[in-house]
Amino acid sequence: MLRLVVQRLLALVPLLFIVSVLTFSLTSLLPDDPADLIIGQWGTEQQFEMVRERLGLNEPLVPRYVHWLERALHGDLGTSFFNSVEVSDAVMQRLPVTLSLTAVSALIALLVGLAAGIAAALRPRSWTDRLATFGATIGQAIPNFWFGILLVAVFAVTLRWFPATGFTPLSSSPWEWLRSVTLPAIALGLASSAAIARQVRSAMVGVLQQDYIRAARAQGLSRRRVIFKHALTNALVPVVAVLSFQITVLLGGALIVEQVFAINGLGTLAITAVRRQDIPMIQGLVLVMVVLVVIVQLATDVVYGFLNPKARPS
Amino acid sequence: MSVQSASASDRGARSGSRRRASAQAVTVAAVAVLSLLVIAAVAAPWIAPYDPLHQSLGAALQGPSTAHWLGTDDLGRDVLSRLVYGCRIAVIAAAEATSIAVVLGVPLGLFVGYRGGWWDWAVMRLVEAVVSIPGIMVAIVIIAILGTGLHRAMIALGILFSTSFLRLARGVVLTEREEVYVKLARVVGASDRRILLRHIFPNIAPPLIVQVTLTVGAVLLAEAGLSFIGLGVQPPDASWGTMLNTAASYMELNWFLAIPPGIAIVATVLSINLLGDVIRDSIGRGVAVGVKPTTPVARFEAAAPASPESAAPPPRRDDDVLRIEGLQVVVSAKEGGEVPVITDLSLAIARGETLGLVGESGSGKTLTGLSILGLIGAGGRSTHGTITLNGTELRALTERQREQVRGNAVAMVFQDPTTSLNPAFTVGNQIAEVLRAKKGLSRKAAWARTIELIDRVGIPRPAERARAYPHELSGGMAQRVAIARALSCNPALLIADEPTTALDVTVQQEILDLFRDLQDEFGMAILFVTHDLAVAADICDRIAVMYAGEIVEVAPVDTLFATPRHPYTRGLLSAMPHASDRDPPLPTIRGTVPRPGSWPRGCRFSDRCGFRTDACGQRVPLTGTGRLVRCLRAGDPELEAGR
Repeated sequence: MLRLVVQRLLALVPLLFIVSVLTFSLTSLLPDDPADLIIGQWGTEQQFEMVRERLGLNEPLVPRYVHWLERALHGDLGTSFFNSVEVSDAVMQRLPVTLSLTAVSALIALLVGLAAGIAAALRPRSWTDRLATFGATIGQAIPNFWFGILLVAVFAVTLRWFPATGFTPLSSSPWEWLRSVTLPAIALGLASSAAIARQVRSAMVGVLQQDYIRAARAQGLSRRRVIFKHALTNALVPVVAVLSFQITVLLGGALIVEQVFAINGLGTLAITAVRRQDIPMIQGLVLVMVVLVVIVQLATDVVYGFLNPKARPS
Repeated sequence: MSVQSASASDRGARSGSRRRASAQAVTVAAVAVLSLLVIAAVAAPWIAPYDPLHQSLGAALQGPSTAHWLGTDDLGRDVLSRLVYGCRIAVIAAAEATSIAVVLGVPLGLFVGYRGGWWDWAVMRLVEAVVSIPGIMVAIVIIAILGTGLHRAMIALGILFSTSFLRLARGVVLTEREEVYVKLARVVGASDRRILLRHIFPNIAPPLIVQVTLTVGAVLLAEAGLSFIGLGVQPPDASWGTMLNTAASYMELNWFLAIPPGIAIVATVLSINLLGDVIRDSIGRGVAVGVKPTTPVARFEAAAPASPESAAPPPRRDDDVLRIEGLQVVVSAKEGGEVPVITDLSLAIARGETLGLVGESGSGKTLTGLSILGLIGAGGRSTHGTITLNGTELRALTERQREQVRGNAVAMVFQDPTTSLNPAFTVGNQIAEVLRAKKGLSRKAAWARTIELIDRVGIPRPAERARAYPHELSGGMAQRVAIARALSCNPALLIADEPTTALDVTVQQEILDLFRDLQDEFGMAILFVTHDLAVAADICDRIAVMYAGEIVEVAPVDTLFATPRHPYTRGLLSAMPHASDRDPPLPTIRGTVPRPGSWPRGCRFSDRCGFRTDACGQRVPLTGTGRLVRCLRAGDPELEAGR
C-alpha cells in the first residue's frame, strides 16, 4: 500500500508544480501594481519603493518564484496586503470549519446516494426507481444556497430545532457542533447525493447482471449477502471516483453555503480577499485547496486499490 | 395462458406508450419554461408591472397582494418585476459564459489535438491543474484579477468551462485523425486547416450540443451562486442570485422572498438539464443504428400440462435424484407479453449418473439448469410442471426454502470461470464463505476445509492459492476452484453448464477427468449441459437432445451415437468433426435455431428438416420407452436409409 501511495504522489508532482506556477503568477496578472493596492493613491515614491522591495517585486521573475515556493513549502504564505495577518494563520484558523462542513456533507451525500441508488437498482423501472431518478434530477437542479435558505426557514426560524447561523467548533461542544453543522451539510450535500445516487444505480444495475452474482446466488447465499457483499464491493469501484470528484465540488460549494449560515470559514476569507484583491490570501487559499484535493485523490487511489485487487501494484 | 399473455402484452404496450408520452410531455414542458424565460428576458420592460429599481420604503417586505403579486423586498421594490428582469440577466449570463467557453475551448482543443506533441502536453497539464481546483475557487481567483460584476464574472465562468470544451474537441480530433477519410485527405494534399474545418469539425457538433446544454445549466447555477455571495451581479441590479442574497438577510421577517427566485432557478436549470437528456438520447439513437425489432409471429399456444401431446413422464427409478416433469418456462418479450422458451420438458437423473443436455445455443439448455435452481432471472418464470429434487417439489418452495436447497442439495458450475468468480475477493474467501453460510462452520474450520477442497480438485500448493484473486489464476485453475466451491456442501445434484467450453483444449480433458473422479467419490448426479457432442460422448451416461425449448431425443450415449433417430440429432452427429476423415467438408444443418416466439406451429425442426411431410405441421409428442424421440417419422424406412 505504501508503494501505491508513493507511486501516486510522484505522479502528482507535475500537477503541483504547474499549480504553484499558476498561483505564483497571480501577482503578475494583476492589472494594478500590488504596491498601489497596499499604499493607496497618496503614497510617496519612497513608500512605493519600500513596499516593492519588501514584496520582492524588484527581483526578476524566476528567483522570485523560487523564493516564494521555498517559503510556501515551509508554510510561510506571506502576509495579507491589507493588514499584518499571516496568510497561513488566517487559513489554518478557518480550515477546520470548512473541512468539517465538507466532510459531514460528503458523508451525507455518500449515505443518501448509496441508499437511493441501491434501492433504485434492485428494482429497475419500478416506482422506487422512478422516484429516485426523478429526485436525483431535481436534486441536481437545486442551488445549494437556496436549499440552505429553505432549511433555515423551516428548521431554524419556524421549528427552532437548529441554530440559523453560526458554527460551534467540535472541540468546544460536540453536540452543538453537530447542531450547527447539520443544516449547512444537508444543503451542501444534496446535489452530490443526487450525482452519487445516479452513479450507484448504474454501477449496481451493471454488476447485478454479472455472472458471479448469479453464481453466488446459485451457491445458496442469501440475497442480502449477495447484494451487500458481492455486488456492492464491485459497484463501489466507479462510485469511489465520483465521490472523489464530488468532494472537490463540495469544497467549492462550501464557500457559498457558509454565507447562508454566516459561518466564518474559508468562504468568508476568500470573498473578503477577492473584493480587496488581496493576492497573498488568494494564493494561500488556492494552495490549501490543491493540497486538500491531492489528499483526497491519494485516499481515492488507496480505497480503489482496496476494492479492486487488479489495481494493486504487484 | 393465452388470456394471461394477452393482458400482459397489453400492459407492456400500454406502459411503453405511456412512458413515451410522459417523455414527450416533459420535453414540451421544458421547452415551454425556456421559451417563457426568453420571452420574459426580451420583453421585460413591457411585462414587468413596475420599475425593478423603484423603491418605496413605506411598502417594504410585504407579502403577495393584488398590487404586488409576489410582494415587495426590503426596499419596497416589486419582487415580480425584479424576477422578470432577472430572466434577462440569466439569459445574458448563460449566453455570454457559454459562448466564451466554446470560443476559447473548441479551437484550442482542435489545435492541440491535431498538433499533438509538446503543445498538447503543456496545454493538457494546464487543464488538469485548473480542473483539480474546485470550480468556484477558480472563478473566484479569476474574479480577484478582473474585478466583480456580471460580465467579468461571466468571463471567469467562460474560462472555467472552456476546459470541458477543450477536452471534448481534443478527444474528437484524436479519434477522427486516425480515420481513413482524414488520412486520405492528407494524402491528397489537403491543408491542415481544410482538414480541420471540412473533415473533423462536423464530427464535433453532436457532442458539442450536449456539452452546451450541460454548461448552460452549470453556468446558471454558478452565476446565481456568485451573485449570491456578491461577486457577480452587483446591487441594486436585479438578478435571481442577488434577490436570494436579500432574502437570506430577511428570513425571519419575510421568508416568502426566497421562494420566487429559487423556483425560477430550479425550473430553468431543470428544464435545460431535461432537454439535454432528451438531446443526448436522440443523438445517441442517431449514432447507434438499432436492430430492427422483430415481432413474434404466430404466437405460440402453450401446451397445457394435461394436453394429449404432453409426453409421458420418464419412468420412475428408485435412485432418481432429480425428476422434471412437464416444465414450461416463459420470459417476457421486448415487444410486451410473454414468450415460452422451454415447453413440456421432462427428464430424470439418478444417483451417480451423468445426463448430457445437448443442443445448439438458444435451445434452452442453460435456462433448464437455472430453472432447477429457481434462478431464471428477472423477466422469466416457470409456469407449469414439477421439479423434484430428492423427493422435494422445488417449484412449491418459498424463496427462503429454495435458498436452503441451493448450494446444499444442488450446485452449479458455470461456463466462464473467470466471470463466475467475484473479482473482488480471494478464491479461498469465496469457498469459505459458502461453508460458513451453508454449513455454519467457524472461520477457522471453514478455511481448513477450503484448503482441503482446493487440494482435492488438483490445485498444487492449495494454502497459497487460496489467497489468490481470480484474475491471478489461469482459466483451468479458476474452473477447478469453481468446482470446489460447488462441491463444498456435497450436493446431490451438480449442474455443469458448458464447464469446459471457455477453456483451452488441453485443459478440457483434465477438467472432464476431474468431474468423473469427483463423481466416483461423492456420488452426485450430474446434469452436464454442452453443445459439444464429443465432450458429451466422453462424460455422459445418457444424452437428452434439446431443440427450440423442447427435448427431441433421449437415449443412452452409445445407442444415440450408433442409431440416432431424430433428424436433428443426426444433423448434429454428422456435423461433428472426425479426426479420421478430413477431406469431405463438414456438413452443416442449414438455417439456425428459431427464436422463441417464432417457432413453427408443428414440429419445431420442420423448416430445417429434409424429411418433413404435411403431418409435421402438427405438434409432435415425445414417444417411446427407454429411448424417446419426438419425430413422426422415427423408424420410417426412408429416414433410416438416409443415415
